[in-house]
Amino acid sequence: MNRAAHIAILVLFLAFFLAPFLVHPGLVFIAGFAMIQIVFALSWNLLFSYAGLASFGHAAFFGVGAYVAAAALRDGLPLNFVLVLVICAALGAFAAFLVAIVVLRRASGIQFAVLTLALSQLVVILIGYSEFFGHDEGISAIPRPVMNFWLFSVDLRQPLVNYYFVFTVCVLAIGLMWLLVNGHLGRAMRAVRIDPERAAFVGIDVWRVRVLAFTISGAFAATAGALLAPWGQIVTPDYVNWLHSAQPMFASLLGGAGFFWGPVVGVIGLSALNYLTRTFAGLSEVLIGGSLIIVVLLAPQGILGMLRHLAGRTGAEKPGGHK
Amino acid sequence: MTSLYLYAIFNGVVLGMAIFLVAAGLTLAFGIMKIFNFAHGAFFMIGAYVAHAITGQEASSLPLFLGAALVAAMVVGSVGVLADLAIFRRLAGVPAEYTLMAAFGIMLLCTGVTRIAFGQSVHAIYPPAALSGMFFVGFPITAYGLFIIGCGVAVFLLLEIGLNRLWFGKLVLAVARDPWMANVSGLRVQRLKLISVAISFALAGVAGGLLVANQSLSLDLGHSYLLLAFCAVIVGGLGSIRGAFIAAIIFGLAESLNSVLLPTMPGIGVYALLIALVLIRPQGLYPELSQ
Repeated sequence: MNRAAHIAILVLFLAFFLAPFLVHPGLVFIAGFAMIQIVFALSWNLLFSYAGLASFGHAAFFGVGAYVAAAALRDGLPLNFVLVLVICAALGAFAAFLVAIVVLRRASGIQFAVLTLALSQLVVILIGYSEFFGHDEGISAIPRPVMNFWLFSVDLRQPLVNYYFVFTVCVLAIGLMWLLVNGHLGRAMRAVRIDPERAAFVGIDVWRVRVLAFTISGAFAATAGALLAPWGQIVTPDYVNWLHSAQPMFASLLGGAGFFWGPVVGVIGLSALNYLTRTFAGLSEVLIGGSLIIVVLLAPQGILGMLRHLAGRTGAEKPGGHK
Repeated sequence: MTSLYLYAIFNGVVLGMAIFLVAAGLTLAFGIMKIFNFAHGAFFMIGAYVAHAITGQEASSLPLFLGAALVAAMVVGSVGVLADLAIFRRLAGVPAEYTLMAAFGIMLLCTGVTRIAFGQSVHAIYPPAALSGMFFVGFPITAYGLFIIGCGVAVFLLLEIGLNRLWFGKLVLAVARDPWMANVSGLRVQRLKLISVAISFALAGVAGGLLVANQSLSLDLGHSYLLLAFCAVIVGGLGSIRGAFIAAIIFGLAESLNSVLLPTMPGIGVYALLIALVLIRPQGLYPELSQ
């Protein structure tokens, strides 16, 4: 099973790596978009599955990254785009930190969910006022940057280079998150989720771990948003509102929220559903809504949980817990 | 200047009653099922579409308008019963997040089905002739606004008296507060739950049928009211009818006065108020005992 999982990850990696040579440009665009969504969904799942906090306004942090990067590119700031990415991540982390210290002090459970939702809607409204961020229309026709390094330059105006830039950043972000959840902090986060009281007993500062998890998650969400600006070339308030906040939840749940790779499977599944039903208005909502209900009812552990269950039936006994 | 403020206050109360009509079913569903029903907005929208399908663009008479709202209530109520039997009942023991996802799934499903059944176009709907009048008492008052206030107060009184004074309401409260104990003392918990869920969904249908006039009927109709109703339910204290009523009026006034006092920043008052209120009083205005 473990071997099968490794092979599956490798196949997935190769599929995304070779996508520009295998499929037509329309699908390549969707693949790039899916990679961005994967980073976004993983950042949410980091918070949900590992720290036990269900944020309903995660798109706000995605929006911070997307809008700052879009404005920087539109105004032609003389900065290397890699630097812009870092700045976006830092701003996302800062915004998430502010939200966390205000919200986590007072609220938990449903209050936490609704406060994060309200704060993200506030961001949508503030963007609507802002001339600089293009009101409700958003920022469109964002130019793609050319990055000059000392020895060579990377020209994102070439589609292939652009794809591999998004690919590289996403793989780096996914790798970082993987290291994070399998390290000391990840274990502390899981301890806090499973039993905050006991975690406090063994010397974990519960509040600090939660704030830290929220901050890190915000940074990754903002990075994903910042990648959207050069890839999609348009950023609108739709990427900030609560329906976009729901996307990572769908993906995580569909793929299996208890698994690190769950959101990856979920995003690919959702993208495929959206792509296959793109010509028939309404059908994609029916299918996505229906599959969500079916997953919640029949396979609460998501697709990966179902696969493990099937594998466990035929193979040997598998140890429980996150893997 | 005073008349402007009075006009804004009147509009705020009308909006508050409209929010309450949506929030009433939501808070009832929360009190009984212990879930935050994201699908409520979608059911509200279905109610509006059903009423529109019956009356057309303008209801020819007041009884037809009310009748259409009643039919919408019955349709949505029976859809709610189906949803409870097929989905929510099976999710009784699982963590709240999964139920939320299921509700989200139902919302998407309903939106998709409505899109397929009724199309994407936006319809303009007008209240029936009996309600389209206007009065001047220093500022203009619409008959439809008065009608909405009347409906809101009527639903509030019905629920408040029904839940706290009538035998059936007390049974429902007993089931909501402690299902296990209610079961031990011989109540039919599942049946009572089902009835109250049906009432909660029927309320969404009524709200859809009543509020559809003076709106542009579109697939986004549910979302705009749903978020405001969420705010009212949270601030009111989850599951409390009285709290939802007061909070709905507060938010209606906030939204309406916002457009007079801060015309350059529409829509900000509600969310700022929500954040402040939840931080000051996270348990809500009237915290329910069962929490």
